[in-house]
Amino acid sequence: MSKSKEQGIKDSYDVVIIGAGNGGLTAAAELAMRGVNLLLLEQHNLPGGFASSFVRGRFEFETSLHELYDWGPESNKGGTRRLLERYELDSEFVAVPEAYRLIVTNPDDYIDVVMPFGIDAYLDAIEKAVPGCRDSVRSFFDLAQEIDIATSFLGRSRGNPDQEVLLKEHSNFLKTAAYSVEEIEDALNIPEKAKGILNAYWLYLGIPTNRVNSTLFTSMVYGYILKGAYIPKFRSHDYTTALDAKIREFGGKIEYNTKVEKILVENGKIIGVETSNGDKIKTNHVISNASPTLTYNNLIHPKSEVPEIAYKEINARRHGISTFVVYMGLDATAEELGLKEYSYFISNIMNTEELYEELHNLEIPNVQATICLNNAIPDCSPPGTCIVSITSAFLPGAWDDVKLEEYFTVKNKIAEGLINNFEKATGAPIREHIEEIEVATPQTISRFTRAYNGVVYGYEPDSWDSIVPRLAMMNDDKHIDGLEFCGGHGKRAHGYSSSLKDGQTAALLTLQDLQKKGELK
Amino acid sequence: MNEEKEKLDITIKSNTRDLFAFTKLVPNRKKRFERASSDPITKDPMNELAVRLHPNRQYLVINEIKDETKSAKTFKLTPDPDSNTKELAYFRAGQYLSLKVQVNGVMITRPYSISSSPSDALKGFYEITIRKEEQGFLTEYIWNNWRKGTKVVSSGPEGYFYFEPLRDLKQIVGIAGGSGITPFRSMAKAIIDDTLNAKLTLLYGSSDEEDIIFYHEFKEMEKNYPSKIKIVHVLSCDVVSLEGCEQGFISKDIIEKYCNPPSSTFFVCGPQIMYEFVEAELKKLNLPTKLIRREAFGEVKDILTFPDFPKEVAEKTFKMKVQIGNSCKEVPAIATESVLVALERAHINPPSKCRSGECGFCRSLLIDGKVYINPVSDWRKGGDKRFNYFHPCASYPITDLEIIVPRDF
Ligand SMILES: Cc1cc2nc3c(=O)[nH]c(=O)nc-3n(C[C@H](O)[C@H](O)[C@H](O)COP(=O)(O)OP(=O)(O)OC[C@H]3O[C@@H](n4cnc5c(N)ncnc54)[C@H](O)[C@@H]3O)c2cc1C
Ligand code: FES
Repeated sequence: MSKSKEQGIKDSYDVVIIGAGNGGLTAAAELAMRGVNLLLLEQHNLPGGFASSFVRGRFEFETSLHELYDWGPESNKGGTRRLLERYELDSEFVAVPEAYRLIVTNPDDYIDVVMPFGIDAYLDAIEKAVPGCRDSVRSFFDLAQEIDIATSFLGRSRGNPDQEVLLKEHSNFLKTAAYSVEEIEDALNIPEKAKGILNAYWLYLGIPTNRVNSTLFTSMVYGYILKGAYIPKFRSHDYTTALDAKIREFGGKIEYNTKVEKILVENGKIIGVETSNGDKIKTNHVISNASPTLTYNNLIHPKSEVPEIAYKEINARRHGISTFVVYMGLDATAEELGLKEYSYFISNIMNTEELYEELHNLEIPNVQATICLNNAIPDCSPPGTCIVSITSAFLPGAWDDVKLEEYFTVKNKIAEGLINNFEKATGAPIREHIEEIEVATPQTISRFTRAYNGVVYGYEPDSWDSIVPRLAMMNDDKHIDGLEFCGGHGKRAHGYSSSLKDGQTAALLTLQDLQKKGELK
Repeated sequence: MNEEKEKLDITIKSNTRDLFAFTKLVPNRKKRFERASSDPITKDPMNELAVRLHPNRQYLVINEIKDETKSAKTFKLTPDPDSNTKELAYFRAGQYLSLKVQVNGVMITRPYSISSSPSDALKGFYEITIRKEEQGFLTEYIWNNWRKGTKVVSSGPEGYFYFEPLRDLKQIVGIAGGSGITPFRSMAKAIIDDTLNAKLTLLYGSSDEEDIIFYHEFKEMEKNYPSKIKIVHVLSCDVVSLEGCEQGFISKDIIEKYCNPPSSTFFVCGPQIMYEFVEAELKKLNLPTKLIRREAFGEVKDILTFPDFPKEVAEKTFKMKVQIGNSCKEVPAIATESVLVALERAHINPPSKCRSGECGFCRSLLIDGKVYINPVSDWRKGGDKRFNYFHPCASYPITDLEIIVPRDF
């Protein structure tokens, strides 16, 4: 007698989910929990997509997560936490100690501050660094709070918000939704230096502050400062594997090493999928955790079923940055190295537009976001060691002309430059302590996730294409009957929390459709 | 202190313009979409680079076979002209290829270090050098069947046994045993052709003179590049007649005689028994962990030598229920053979590359039963340990099992 409910792949499912990234996993968990008959297909041999880990020597590295947004403490749980707790996930998360340390190295812009979590503590710290800025920064947080409430309202409205409520209760949100964060900060008269401190998180959204949509940015800063940031205690692979276990327990079927090659469409309606392993599976519903770029350009079959507008949408949008990460296992403790903080934002200048433009070039980026994991999880590596990972970014195109034989040299040169920049900014001698090192480039991202062109950050959240118009148009953006999207390219823009929540939304929309059509068995 | 907080009322441009800007968000987005090109995207440069650097499979053909010793041959492999492998993936000296071969009706994989230089891959060939194992399953087959023109399927270059300039000291000390010389030939060639900026001192253990692979080739390299390459042969046979050789095993004393341990990075590659010996010797030198790099040594030869392996099951054959794709089979699994071997014997072909527990490629889910995981090959992620994922190549059945195995692709 078999102990498990596991069965082989069947030839038909209510829903097929393509990709077991953050979005695909929650989509599958939500549907499986509700008893929907589903198949989750993943091309890699692991769940998680970017949310993973890998082992080298004595170390297990976190692949991409810096800080989980909207998790929150027991007493003030955020949406992401409530979502994963819904599935009774067996995985622990721990709080990150401080918001960030910001170091800007050029003498003209010089700054070195450690910013705490908690709105009041944050205001105290920013006032100390930039005397006189307190009130203007406070109004930034007041506004952020209103925006946050308004976006939750929008999220719940599934694309059909009550216009009257919007106007009456969320007017500040309405008036700012079309502007960049810089325009908002200027309207609030926030001093330049305080802006620099407040904007430190910009790399998490990956576009400069004169373009990044204020709704998204202010909610993010507010969410982090108010509720703190969290990370999985045993790396992201632990919680994604916990999700895998739940999906199976709920009766969902997961198949790794299986790449969907075709989404079969007939008369504008999904009829099935075909995989690299030769599976032909009947279904009328696909939730794609692969980007619209990949789904429309590569997966929909026949090509004549791809509507022109789908190509136009993709071409109108701008693909976001890809990341470059130097993972290091060091044979000295954080304390010995003088590293007290978990999260470091380091750049030479404050101007985010200039920093961003540089990411077009295959040169050593002047901006980095660095993590010392042991300062959040002291025992994440063996005694006497610590884990430091430096993240920077490149724009699509930067790596296009790299020759095969130059690839390893180029990536090492950039890694070395980032290490030097970190050492100069913090004084921590990490180079001589490297016991394990691995360097991931946009190519690496592409290799493991098959993301289009190694893009990590979905589509750029300029105001015109930020969450407000995306959510408002989520019903217009549907072009093929039975096809939903979820993940970092989705309605809530990129990021772990957004993708996890977007997966659930896609699941609910699909469920609605299944019920409406009476297709649920 | 009951002051009512003044309600924020923000204005960016003007009240009406700000509200108007909001109402224009959706129409503007639609307009942008409409104006955009409707051409499909046909290029994905990072994916193309990924496929070139890490091809899933390379279809090769044996172009030349050279006898190195009585029991070792070098195979020169070039792209199979009948396949769509048009170029070879570049690699870092020290990496291996995982060959996928059908032997007596059974599909298996075996890892082999690339013994040629990375720059040779750009010229269109790899070399691998294989030593015949007594009763070796694949090597017996190779000796009987591989000829010039035989087609061979391999993975892309794999593994982490390579010089990393950001981590390693420029002076490399290679410690090799038997066929473990192969990655060092690649490194030596890379040092000579300047792909690799380092120096190599190689301590090479063989059983006797006859067994030394690449004897003349290394002598030649040493002669032509004395500042870069140095080789010391250590022979374990009783009588050593070869000039300038050490007799015995690669011990602490021999290491100290030829190298300066704290200013070198050690690279160790050889059979399991050599590791055990060398490990103990290196320990006496009290070196920091970062100075010692080890290549994976493949499947453990005799699992019974592990003290915590439950000896009472040694003679047993268990039943293993395997779910793979849409099929479910029950197959036998011998306690002293890895789960991976049991799967291969049963014509179930799960993915595998390193066969050492390291690459995670064979990662499978244990639904029921117990496996013994050899502790030196347990490279699993923490989450995998917690949720019963295991690596069949490094795990042995000690009860009946039920497992889910991914399909190869
Ligand atoms: C990273 C790495 C690099 C390496 N590089 C080299 C190198 O450069 N040169 C080199 O010579 N070697 C190298 N090796 C070793 C090499 O991979 C093989 O282990 C070696 O060639 C022996 O292979 P074999 O099949 O002949 O012998 P074995 O692997 O010892 O053959 C016996 C095995 O076959 C299994 N078996 C027996 N019958 C069957 C059956 N009917 N079906 C399925 N399985 C069966 C047995 O259980 C046993 O595990 C390397 C190993 C590693 C891990
Ligand atoms: S084949 Fe590499 S871990 Fe099993």
